[in-house]
Amino acid sequence: MFKYRKRVFAATAAVALAAGLAACGGSSDGSSNPGNSEPTSDAKGGDLLYYLYTPIEHLDPQRVYVGRDITNLSRTVYRTLVSFPISNDPDTANTPVADLATDTGTSTEGGKVWSFTVKDGVKWEDGQPVTCEDFKYGASRAFATDVITGGPNYILSYLDIPTDKSTGLPAYTGPYTNKGSQYFDKAVTCDGNTITYHFNKPWPDFPLAIAGLHMMDPYRKDKDQGDKSNYQIFSNGPYKLDGTWNKNKGGTLVRNDNYDASTDSPELRKALPDSIEFQIGLTPENQYDRLVADTDPNAITGTSVPPAYYSQIEGPVADRSVLVDSPYVYYLVPNFRSAVMKDPAVRKALAVATNSDAYNVALGGDKAGAPAESIVSPAVVGYKANDAFSGSNSGDPDAAKQILEDAGVSMPVPVKFTYPTSDTADKWAAALKETWDKAGFDVTLDGLGDTYYTVIQKPDKDSDVMWGGWGADWPSAITVTAPLFDSRPNLTAASDGQDYGAYDSDEFNKLVDEAQNASDLDAQTAALQQADEQLGQDYAYIPLSITKFYMVYGSKVTNYTTTPSSNGYPDLGAIGVES
Amino acid sequence: MFAYVIRRLFIGAILLLVMSLVTFVLFFASPVDPGRYACGKNCSPAQIKQTNKALGYDKPVIEQWTDFLRGVVVGREYPDDPELRAAAPQLVTECPAPCLGYSVVNTSTVNAEIKEAFPISLSLALAALLMWVSGGVLFGVIAAVRKGTIIDRGIVALSLVFYAFPAFFIGIFLLKFVAIKWELVPPPTYTPIAEGGIGLWLQGLLLPGLTLALLYMAGYVRMTRAFVLESMTEDYIRTARAKGLKSRRVLVKHSMRAALTPLVTLVGLDFAGLMGGAIITETVFNYNGLGKLAVEANQTYDLPTIIGLVLLLGTFVIIANIIVDVLYAVIDPRVRVG
Amino acid sequence: MSSFLSVRDLKVHFPTVDGIVKATDGLSFDLERGETLGIVGESGSGKSVSSSAILGLHRKTSAVVSGEILLEGTDLLKISDEDMRRRRGKEVAMIFQDPLSAMHPYYTVGNQIGEAYRVHHDVSKKAARARAVEMLDRVGIPQPDRRVDDYPHQFSGGMRQRAMIAMGLINNPSLLIADEPTTALDVTVQAQILDLLQDLQREFESAVIIITHDLGVVAEMADDVLVMYAGRCVEYGTTKEILTHPEMPYTWGLLSSVPDVLGDTSAQLVPIPGNPPSLLSPPPGCMFHPRCAHRDKVPGDLCRTVLPDLVPGTRTEGHLKRCHLTDPDAVYEREVLPEIAPDLVEER
Repeated sequence: MFKYRKRVFAATAAVALAAGLAACGGSSDGSSNPGNSEPTSDAKGGDLLYYLYTPIEHLDPQRVYVGRDITNLSRTVYRTLVSFPISNDPDTANTPVADLATDTGTSTEGGKVWSFTVKDGVKWEDGQPVTCEDFKYGASRAFATDVITGGPNYILSYLDIPTDKSTGLPAYTGPYTNKGSQYFDKAVTCDGNTITYHFNKPWPDFPLAIAGLHMMDPYRKDKDQGDKSNYQIFSNGPYKLDGTWNKNKGGTLVRNDNYDASTDSPELRKALPDSIEFQIGLTPENQYDRLVADTDPNAITGTSVPPAYYSQIEGPVADRSVLVDSPYVYYLVPNFRSAVMKDPAVRKALAVATNSDAYNVALGGDKAGAPAESIVSPAVVGYKANDAFSGSNSGDPDAAKQILEDAGVSMPVPVKFTYPTSDTADKWAAALKETWDKAGFDVTLDGLGDTYYTVIQKPDKDSDVMWGGWGADWPSAITVTAPLFDSRPNLTAASDGQDYGAYDSDEFNKLVDEAQNASDLDAQTAALQQADEQLGQDYAYIPLSITKFYMVYGSKVTNYTTTPSSNGYPDLGAIGVES
Repeated sequence: MFAYVIRRLFIGAILLLVMSLVTFVLFFASPVDPGRYACGKNCSPAQIKQTNKALGYDKPVIEQWTDFLRGVVVGREYPDDPELRAAAPQLVTECPAPCLGYSVVNTSTVNAEIKEAFPISLSLALAALLMWVSGGVLFGVIAAVRKGTIIDRGIVALSLVFYAFPAFFIGIFLLKFVAIKWELVPPPTYTPIAEGGIGLWLQGLLLPGLTLALLYMAGYVRMTRAFVLESMTEDYIRTARAKGLKSRRVLVKHSMRAALTPLVTLVGLDFAGLMGGAIITETVFNYNGLGKLAVEANQTYDLPTIIGLVLLLGTFVIIANIIVDVLYAVIDPRVRVG
Repeated sequence: MSSFLSVRDLKVHFPTVDGIVKATDGLSFDLERGETLGIVGESGSGKSVSSSAILGLHRKTSAVVSGEILLEGTDLLKISDEDMRRRRGKEVAMIFQDPLSAMHPYYTVGNQIGEAYRVHHDVSKKAARARAVEMLDRVGIPQPDRRVDDYPHQFSGGMRQRAMIAMGLINNPSLLIADEPTTALDVTVQAQILDLLQDLQREFESAVIIITHDLGVVAEMADDVLVMYAGRCVEYGTTKEILTHPEMPYTWGLLSSVPDVLGDTSAQLVPIPGNPPSLLSPPPGCMFHPRCAHRDKVPGDLCRTVLPDLVPGTRTEGHLKRCHLTDPDAVYEREVLPEIAPDLVEER
């Protein structure tokens, strides 16, 4: 569970809510406005309750990396320079608007330099103004890699700071030990209320990145106690933490008196409830027992309905449910070092024989997942179904067998399929094996426990096919295909990094460079689309499933919505509650 | 007796020392790299190394172990890096002796974590103990006295049924139907006595305590029944009856006193085990006790917490053993000599 | 006028899944106050089961007890459970063998003796304790006021037996049953205990049933002897008669296992071959026949097929025996005695 949570949950990509993809689950008279609930009311007041199962790992803006937590904090306490607006239209939802900054920023030097001006009148919860220096201090914290752990680390490679050859880390060591501060002071500069970031390469999607993550958030130096501040919330948004956060129980957000709504926009935060309580620890089953019984009519959850409860979501309960795409995609990778998978025909035959419909049935059916046709989620800017994987999703063993025969491969082809074992995983692994075996493969299932990612990262693994899950950090494929298939940052003598299949293609790497060096978003998007095509031609991965979020909310919850900008989770910027 | 207890405590301390070392060694013998999991996405090997440093896993195992032992004896300061502590004193967390460690994962000293979780597990274990011992002994004795009748068979059969149920089944059933669907009691939440008084505390403990009690009671019913029946065949029971004692007095004074002695050992050890946390019951009822803490520590590769809990549970078992032995001497005069 | 204790056709049967175990099958005897009856037999012969029946110790759920046990004219098998309980320990008391297991290990000796007193007398714990000290003193425990607070395991075997006797006699019972009171003790202590029992019997004028496998004990204590084998009485008579003119080969066997009873120091110890029969499926005919060395002296297959009745012996009135031999006295004199006590034969 924990193992892939980091990978799968640590993502902020938006979810496309095209009418065909999302619909109110199970409800026959479902709303014509998918993802939205009735009644809608912008009345303020009431106390909202948010169920969580496992503890939140980080509330520190520079450390938070879970999609649900990022959107919850964005809409309530941590404003960013620019933010994604509440919208079900992917184009709108993927276009940042000004938040703490006066506009959406200016870039110069071909996207290598970005400047933003902090609004006047934006304040911290203690009434002090949010300043440029606060932003600079926030950005500096990620460099303290032995204190501020677990967060997004993009700025370590983007900011124009030399690398210390002896450690392989930036020469600047963060605000605590403060070595190499001269480099940082040059890379991030303040001129009055204008902050300027200097990068070592173009970052055309920088606004998307800072709207999608909190890594560039401002931070008050006098409030910083390193790891001790992990569960501290020092707000500049409409709410503030009442008392302290208890890791195991949660906490309650109440209105922040020093928040001035005139500096904000209802496009970003309606801030309807008077308070929002996060209650940690209820198991998914317990949450849904309560939601079905409407024990807490003011409750919402970030947890999907467990498949065992699908049959209980009917009648009036179904009217309180939504079924939407999540930003997460499951996929398979062939091991390019394996003797059998080196042959492109074998990889193609495996892809053709893959029954992703059966995979989704094993996951729990259409309430749990839908077949994916690219490793990139449809919610990401410039999504295109990959030609190599479009069409039928139920696998074609006969065609696959033909491919193997035509290529003169001797059958059966022995294949070892490695995956992280669980009751559900064992089911889908068996389902995948069925069509593969029919196509002329001889599949050995290799379900691993805790050691799964350790094993598949090893360069000398003997797996032929492996399983993975991923979500974009911000709505750009540069946070999907590049980190997963660019051989240069991934492949070392000791580890394959996140490129489990050891895919190593000069053509692909060149397209990543092209995307990274693009000075505008359109050029970048075009290069990334080409890069995904390249991956498809090489059968570097086989997409399996876009997971679904299937969630129920209490009867007194109003304006319920899950938007692309809230990563498919309930959007706290919009949701209200009858008081 | 005093010297005996001191000797046992000494042996226990050595045992704990060995347990801590074994836990350290096993943790690092696992192929899983905890730094990789805590680091997040897109981490370079250098960043993973830094994360391990933040977690305190960068030093050799034996050094980590001796640091840990020093912490237990004289206390420690975190973060572990003296340079960082000197440069940024605001980061320092004091962990006074006996310091069981600092969990970066939980942003808390292990002592503080245990201090928060312990009363919850203790309350739960006490509530369960009370219910299962009283119920187990009562039904066990009834079954023994009514041996062979329909009452006996009913009790034995029912206890077998509960024995066969998995813990989560009883817990989920009680929570889902008794609390949420039928609303017979409010969904249980733990309320410390200091916050809600005895009433709310007990109300919160009712269902989770009952869940555990039903599980344990099954065994205790069967054991009590067996022990009482066995003691009924003892010569001294015949003597007691030959004196003309009423059968109730024979049962209570003579038979049960002897029959329940072996139960003391079981109660002591079961209680110590429960003190270490009832993992499933705590998870089902969202009780943030030691069991849930252990599960989370295990899932997040949180060594300091794991070590702290291993030692705590070890201490419980060692102390429970000593208490049981002392109790035995109190109960059975034959053990008192020596 | 009937006897003080009159047992008639006493049967104690235990129904089991495999069949009925006839532990006692048709036992009859009489006993007067001040007299002592010895019941002799190997273990498993039904001695203890019979005496437990007199105390009403068998549970109705496990045993079927029938016949008559008349104690001063009252049939103990007909009175209510509560009535029986009131008599138990007061009118009829029992001293058990192996007092280490017969006393509760968790309670002091004084507590257990005092409890026997308090259950029949409405007195304080203190008074009961004083009475216990008195009784311990009477049975010869030194420093009784201190030892009263000891636990059974702190007593020696002989002291425990004395304590047991103190417990049995604390309510002046009119009938005392002593079940193997000396078995676990060494010879000198054995003699002391037997002397003590005799003294006390005289003092309290009780009727005593002494159960033993040891004819030596019987010789010293008993006025009458009842020999039991496989749940039945096989020989009954005065002690003198039985010791001098036993007429049942089983009794001969018992004598040969304790030959010095006969007063012959050169006597040979000859154990009875074989084991007692199963009470679940006893052999047909005389139940002793599989172990009997004299069965061939009886014509026909009588010993193997017909259970002999309990009939008067050849010499004296009141001597009863259960045997097909027509001239048992002669056989005993001629064949048995020379083997077990040659010196005695010469004397005669």
